[in-house]
Amino acid sequence: MTINRKYACGALLGLAFVPAPALAADDSAEQGPNPKNWAMQAGNAQNHRYSSLKQINTTNVKNLRVSWMFSTGVLRGHEGGPLVIGDTLYVHSPFPNKVFAIRLADQSIIWKYEPKQDPSVIPVMCCDTVNRGLAYADGKIYLQQADTTLVALDAKTGKVLWSVKNGDPKKGETNTNAPHIFKNKVITGISGGEFGVRGYVTAYDKDTGRQLWRAYSTGPDQEMLLDPQKTMTWTDGKMAPVGKDSSLSTWQGDQWKIGGGTTWGWYSYDPKLNLIYYGSGNPSTWNPAQRPGDNRWSMTIFARDVDTGQAKWVYQMTPHDEWDFDGVNEMILADGVNVKGKPRNVVVHFDRNGFGYTLDRATGELLVAEKYDPTVNWATHVDMKSGRPQVVAKYSTQANGADVDTKGVCPAALGSKDQQPAAYNPANKLFYVPTNHVCMNYEPFKVEYTAGQPYVGATLSMFPAPGSHGGMGNFIVWDAGSGKIVKSKAEKFSVWSGALVTAGGIACYGTLEGYVKCVDANDISKELFKFKTPSGIIGNVNTWEYNGKQYIGVLSGIGGWAGIGLAAGLEKDTDGLGAVGGYKELSKYTELGGVLTVFSLP
Amino acid sequence: MANLRKAAWLFGAAIVLGAFAPGAAFGEDQKLYQVQEGNKVDNATLEGWRTWRALACERCHGNQQQGLVGPSLIEALKRLSRDEFKTAVLKGRPEKGMPNFDGSKMVTENIDGLYAYLKGRADGAIKPGHVYPMK
Repeated sequence: MTINRKYACGALLGLAFVPAPALAADDSAEQGPNPKNWAMQAGNAQNHRYSSLKQINTTNVKNLRVSWMFSTGVLRGHEGGPLVIGDTLYVHSPFPNKVFAIRLADQSIIWKYEPKQDPSVIPVMCCDTVNRGLAYADGKIYLQQADTTLVALDAKTGKVLWSVKNGDPKKGETNTNAPHIFKNKVITGISGGEFGVRGYVTAYDKDTGRQLWRAYSTGPDQEMLLDPQKTMTWTDGKMAPVGKDSSLSTWQGDQWKIGGGTTWGWYSYDPKLNLIYYGSGNPSTWNPAQRPGDNRWSMTIFARDVDTGQAKWVYQMTPHDEWDFDGVNEMILADGVNVKGKPRNVVVHFDRNGFGYTLDRATGELLVAEKYDPTVNWATHVDMKSGRPQVVAKYSTQANGADVDTKGVCPAALGSKDQQPAAYNPANKLFYVPTNHVCMNYEPFKVEYTAGQPYVGATLSMFPAPGSHGGMGNFIVWDAGSGKIVKSKAEKFSVWSGALVTAGGIACYGTLEGYVKCVDANDISKELFKFKTPSGIIGNVNTWEYNGKQYIGVLSGIGGWAGIGLAAGLEKDTDGLGAVGGYKELSKYTELGGVLTVFSLP
Repeated sequence: MANLRKAAWLFGAAIVLGAFAPGAAFGEDQKLYQVQEGNKVDNATLEGWRTWRALACERCHGNQQQGLVGPSLIEALKRLSRDEFKTAVLKGRPEKGMPNFDGSKMVTENIDGLYAYLKGRADGAIKPGHVYPMK
């Protein structure tokens, strides 16, 4: 349903008054973004979550005050963040995936879009109906609905220009990811790793919605758009062709058809190399005994040609996953990072498995793989020659077997970091990473596959990392060249909010209790600003400039797996309510409810 | 077809249940499950727990049935009749986020055991977490 308000016309007039630099056409992967806008979920195509705006800085950030607030009218988890193009802000909600265009001049609603979606998609998204936000290009707003419908809206009117079905919820396929616009394409993924979905990435023409290519994460080479001779991977300390049937040969029988490797993360794009980067998720089921082999190319970083979808290189981080360490987290592209004394153009990835990876993004060479949380214990290290993690037998749910509770695995399934994206500061070449500090017990068991039904196969319980500060999160600064934690700031709960770092010298993030915090980017232990928003924050902090003023905005609205994960924080029967009980603790601080809070200086 | 199949399974389940029902004149609910030491249960109830686990019910209802995104089953099973329970599980409540499980063979086969297990949890007779076969 689209509500076309009469102000749509006014909006047009308003746009006409915007000075040329604020026009959105400036925002492209090739030319870099106009810093006044926030036209991509990560601010730019390299996933930096960095802004060159510096009106708000280390000295005055303490004076931030709420400029305005806006309720989405939706409960449940609010991930992603607002886009700002010129004088209009666009914000989304979880299911039913409302979209609002808001006139910045008076915060009135220019238009609202609310798709009609079959509610039966909700349980398939169990247990939360998050959406990670909108994309924008050339006068169009793109929404990837939960029911997998990808829709292009006229940014001025909210009118549907085209829509296309990207998957089938009856098979457990849903969408939570933000669409990404790279070049003339909308690139989108698929969710449903817990329903035995076979993951894929699809490119659509951004103007017509026509499908241009689709590449699966598992299966025959041609369906994966993988060339046995030309697609390379790290092999014995060098890059080598993946060879024929590199996926099929690592699965038993037809298991790859329900093998997971879903693709719901934050993608990036290098216009010079013409490559997109993304990660694939866990192999299905969570019971490793049911899927012998490396289960390629689940848990893999992919570099694909944006025009053809052909894989240039792949790197599997967690062969034969035994812990649900999805590889979907954001891929950050950084230039001139000093690796062993040499400047390299790299892709940096903080994996759920607790290792921070740095790879040459042109060739796929593995440069660095180090733990970004010292409590990570499931592997001693990544062998740099084979590229494989060295698994500790005690924490191997495969070795311990089905119906055995493997205890004390760090990190928990939600990873040392989940989807909450890190920020990169090109000035000091450091990464600002919101992390989880949670461990788990993991008991796999045999499951049968039924299309559209959960296909999980493990019972988990999660708890704060033992022998540490007692909290469930950290906000850290990471050096991707050396693979070292520069500084770590403890948080009571997982930091499930995407970070922002700016030329004003501040780094900002949200907390599950609902605080927005801004810290000194040079010393993150210095908390410069803190404000309690109406609900816990799992959204990302974004910034923009309007009418000569810098704003910082964030969605609050507790939910997502953070809520669920914490809810599962109770230890099992014997510990009962005597355990730390993260979620119960969280309920002392916050309740559901989606609100956008926008800050500025007085 | 789903209905036919469901009816067949229910019939089968009823026979199994009958076989376990103790001979003494207990009320309907007491015959539902047998439990020793809080975590050793009869076969049908054990299969009910395995069904609970396999269909990942804890993702919404909590690992102790205490409720998360979905409602507490400790509370719900005190209210719902057996028939209401079966309808909710098999047909779902899509608008509230509850899937229909009539497409799952494991659920249709073990719905009575699932009811028995959850009722045992709601009654406080079965402890949270893993359950095991009776000796």
